[in-house]
Amino acid sequence: MAVEESFTNQRSTAFVISARKRAIQKVGKTFGEALLLVIASFVAIVVLFIFYFVARDAVPYFQIRGFSEFFTSTDWYPADDPPAFGALSIIYGSLMVTVGSALLAVPMGIIAAICLSDILPFSIRQYAKPVIEMLAAIPSVAYGFFALVVLAPLLQNNGGSILMWAWWIIVAPFMTLVVVVTADLFTSRIADRKSRNRFNYVLTALFGIVTIFILYFVGTALSKLQILSGTNALNVSIILSFMALPTIVSVSEDALQAVGRELREGSYALGATRAETIVNVLLPAASSGILAAVILGVMRALGETMVVWMASGNSAHIPQPWFNYLESVRTLTATIAGDMGEADQVTGSARYHVLFAMGLLLLVISFISNLISERIVVRQRKILSGN
Amino acid sequence: MNLRTRKLLDRSFTALGFGSLVVMALALLVVIVPIAVKGIGAVFFTGTIEHRKMLSAEFHTGDPRELTSEAAASERYRANIYSMLSGFEGELDRMDPEKKAEYKNKYGQVKSSLQALLGPLPGEPAPMLTRFKYGQTRWDKAQEKLHDLLYETKWDTSNPNAMSTEYFVRRAESFKGTSLEKLFPYVEQNIEKMMLPKFTFYSGFITESSVDSHFFGGIWPEIQGTFFLAFGAMLFAFPLGVIAAIYFTEYAKPGFFNSMLRSANSTLAGVPSIVFGMFGLAFFINTLKVSDSKSVIAGSLTLAIMILPTIIRSAEEAILAVPKTYKEASLSLGSTKWNTIITVILPAALPGILTGGVISLGRAAGETAPIIFTAAVSVGSAIGLADVFNSPTPALSWNIYNLASEHEAAGELRHVQYGMVLALITVVLLLNLSAIILRARISKKLKG
Amino acid sequence: MTTDTLETPELMSAQKSTKDIYLPPARKKVTDGGKPHVVAREFSIYYGEFEAVKRVNAEIPSKYVTALIGPSGCGKSTFLRSINRMNDLIPTCHTTGALHFDNEDVYGKYTDEVLLRKKVGMVFQKPNPFPKSIFDNIAYGPRLHGINDRKKLMEIVERSLRKAALWDEVCDRLDKNALGLSGGQQQRLCVARTLAVEPEVLLLDEPTSALDPKATAKIEDLIQELRGSYTIMIVTHNMQQASRVSDYTMFFYEGVLVEHASTAQLFTNPKDSMTEDYITGRFS
Repeated sequence: MAVEESFTNQRSTAFVISARKRAIQKVGKTFGEALLLVIASFVAIVVLFIFYFVARDAVPYFQIRGFSEFFTSTDWYPADDPPAFGALSIIYGSLMVTVGSALLAVPMGIIAAICLSDILPFSIRQYAKPVIEMLAAIPSVAYGFFALVVLAPLLQNNGGSILMWAWWIIVAPFMTLVVVVTADLFTSRIADRKSRNRFNYVLTALFGIVTIFILYFVGTALSKLQILSGTNALNVSIILSFMALPTIVSVSEDALQAVGRELREGSYALGATRAETIVNVLLPAASSGILAAVILGVMRALGETMVVWMASGNSAHIPQPWFNYLESVRTLTATIAGDMGEADQVTGSARYHVLFAMGLLLLVISFISNLISERIVVRQRKILSGN
Repeated sequence: MNLRTRKLLDRSFTALGFGSLVVMALALLVVIVPIAVKGIGAVFFTGTIEHRKMLSAEFHTGDPRELTSEAAASERYRANIYSMLSGFEGELDRMDPEKKAEYKNKYGQVKSSLQALLGPLPGEPAPMLTRFKYGQTRWDKAQEKLHDLLYETKWDTSNPNAMSTEYFVRRAESFKGTSLEKLFPYVEQNIEKMMLPKFTFYSGFITESSVDSHFFGGIWPEIQGTFFLAFGAMLFAFPLGVIAAIYFTEYAKPGFFNSMLRSANSTLAGVPSIVFGMFGLAFFINTLKVSDSKSVIAGSLTLAIMILPTIIRSAEEAILAVPKTYKEASLSLGSTKWNTIITVILPAALPGILTGGVISLGRAAGETAPIIFTAAVSVGSAIGLADVFNSPTPALSWNIYNLASEHEAAGELRHVQYGMVLALITVVLLLNLSAIILRARISKKLKG
Repeated sequence: MTTDTLETPELMSAQKSTKDIYLPPARKKVTDGGKPHVVAREFSIYYGEFEAVKRVNAEIPSKYVTALIGPSGCGKSTFLRSINRMNDLIPTCHTTGALHFDNEDVYGKYTDEVLLRKKVGMVFQKPNPFPKSIFDNIAYGPRLHGINDRKKLMEIVERSLRKAALWDEVCDRLDKNALGLSGGQQQRLCVARTLAVEPEVLLLDEPTSALDPKATAKIEDLIQELRGSYTIMIVTHNMQQASRVSDYTMFFYEGVLVEHASTAQLFTNPKDSMTEDYITGRFS
């Protein structure tokens, strides 16, 4: 070793350096880390700025008009003289399409997540994931265009028969299952096997006839429905559910994957079927993660702008009756997008500031639900790792 | 419960799972297929001679000599129509005033239908708007206009309980006994000879600017605007996001401050996109005054803060996925921490970071709400790179909305709208596809 | 046969085998070695509150091979990693007492850990080449220390690979990805990479635990080759390996350095009963 030529001349120098050099090193390191910290804090600063600037332009509205009109009146005539800024029907519209999309997306999303994590073999899963990613990737304006140009005329012209077919396809298999299971539950107490079977068949037939009657009755009623406008809450709910699905599926799948193998194996070992294992063991264990997924998915629907702006009909009223999804509605996001251009921002009129009040409302809702979902996820992770 | 029933339930549950996935796949197909099929029609379609005339006059493309001979051939058949019209006009003059008033209105409809189909009639003053200078440029549209010419649309309102229904009456009927009666069968029989439909590949849809607010021409300004906005956003967000991710993964110490920063990150990810637009307007334009009004730079900055959380998260994941042993090895060789990050960790994490970046790029390109108030205009030409600081730009996402919802002739321009949507979806899905491929290659590499 | 007659002779032979385990291999003579190179004085390492290494006093002789043995979690790896301050990666880790290397304080106020690690190289349990070419792997260290001349780098790469007995196997594919090598080759590459920065001490943290017997034998041969040029410390679970490759052995138990002696002595005539129990396999 000693005879070999060394490539550095520091071979004999020590690794202990002078105090001055050390100080320089320390200053450099501290400075570098501080710089990194500043850049990393950028996100937090942006969040604060968003809150500040939206609130700054929202507060003048409440100073001019007070709180009560905004939240309690349904009269939205911002351009009239005197103007009216009752946002209740708009808030209700947002709520309606959000709930509608959640009703469609949540059951489907959770079941799809279960299917992805526990039912599908890996080879198929590989192809299912890109489908979900593509659903998430399609820009909202493309969904909005589809809703406006393809789905709306379809609903307007053939709405009744579409609803009837959807009713049959979705509800008929489900009802069949309900019939079989109820009949089974009713007869399970009978000890004698032969009479039990006979009784079972009779009950199944009886329930079946009643069910078919109900199905047919509702189906025909649906098929006679006239949809006056294809741009309505139903249309928007359907499209928003497409958009919320990817979030719900991927976050709940993560939650399901986080549940350990041991739990599943324990249940199987007791003789449970896969469905029983999933419903009785997996879903309760992953419930909080799934809840977080639902919150995130619903938030995506609430915050969506382009689809609702293009395809909700933009009429600021509460549908009659209140659950009538076939009427046009108007949402907060669409109102902001649509009215900002007309609102006079230079003079800062109430008409401009009321839109920021709506933005602030959206911001606060999204902030709170984000905090909740984050808290839930953290808690679940703690519980699972604690076990 | 019966074992049989339990098994039935189990199987139904599995079917339900498969069903929901199938529904999702179908949803994707139902959205994409019509857009793809009709969108392709913006570039590949059966064009008429009017399309070639328009190209020659507005864009100076095509063979003028061929066009002249084609126009002459078409004109031979059109001349008969024009002579029929003037013949009827003479007849109209000779009618008694009562009848004249009745026919004049109907004749006006015929004339405007013909004008829409074939372009300006001879002897009329030259139209101001380019859209009226030509007849129907697309064969499918020409047939619609032909239908309008041959049939009058009427509404049946006899049943007050139901919606009124549409029905058609042949116009030939209403001109029975006049010289104009012959016109309708003549046009119907000779429409092909007058319009000369030919399969057309119109690459100009991608590369040209539009003429007369998208009646003719292409969508290049929108495509370019989308690229400017998306890459501008990446320019700000990507370096910031990667540096922040380095801080979070390598330097941050657990504690209140750090968890607050993380909370901020997920809050930002959850902010509705329209609120970003409001913030961009209130902060970048009204407060910072990065530009006097809407501009590319304001839009890019707004999009940048929107995609920042995604970039940070994916970069964090990519960095955490780098085996710890690389870091140990590098440090044990006498490398500093920062040097280790630059020379070992970042190169190993790069594919993962790029995957997140590419997906964010797609998101920035597709998002509309943040640029409504900050960057997008509905009409405009392609802007130069030097103009990004002070001028707004058309962009695919915004112009799809504008053309489909606010354009005065939205129904006439469906093919342009479909073409734009297809262009946008293609860009976004190609970006995502490359991300998927990139990720598949990483996982293969990690497996060895 | 009854169980009694079966058990007794076996137990006897097991006891006897303590004396037979140590078969010193033929070794070359070490010149100018044996000076205390790494010295620990009342040296303790803590993870938070937990004292992982307790008041160790030891002198590691230069240019000889020292093996660190002991059951899992006894602190031997922690002690090894403290010598080039790799423990700094764990935020809660801190030390008391003194650890000197080349008569300088490793944990002193003015110590530059980067310079220290350049002098104290380390090879890890699992082979961890960078996902770069073989050449770039070896050249990584010299480049860090400012050598960019391709010709000079090539010399260093060749010299290091030769020292690691890998040159003949990889000389025609230096530009290929190092992850394409076999596990044993990867580990020798890691040794070569460490040698390329010309350290004085080589720390080997269970370098053969992820390798097959054949590759293990090659690494052990390599250690014999390097003995005399470098001060080598090797953590191992395998007592046969310790006896085969080392000149001195340190036995750790629950963070305490129980015994530190020449390998011949420790394996044939352990002073502490705990050491004897461990090397005879009563616990592990």
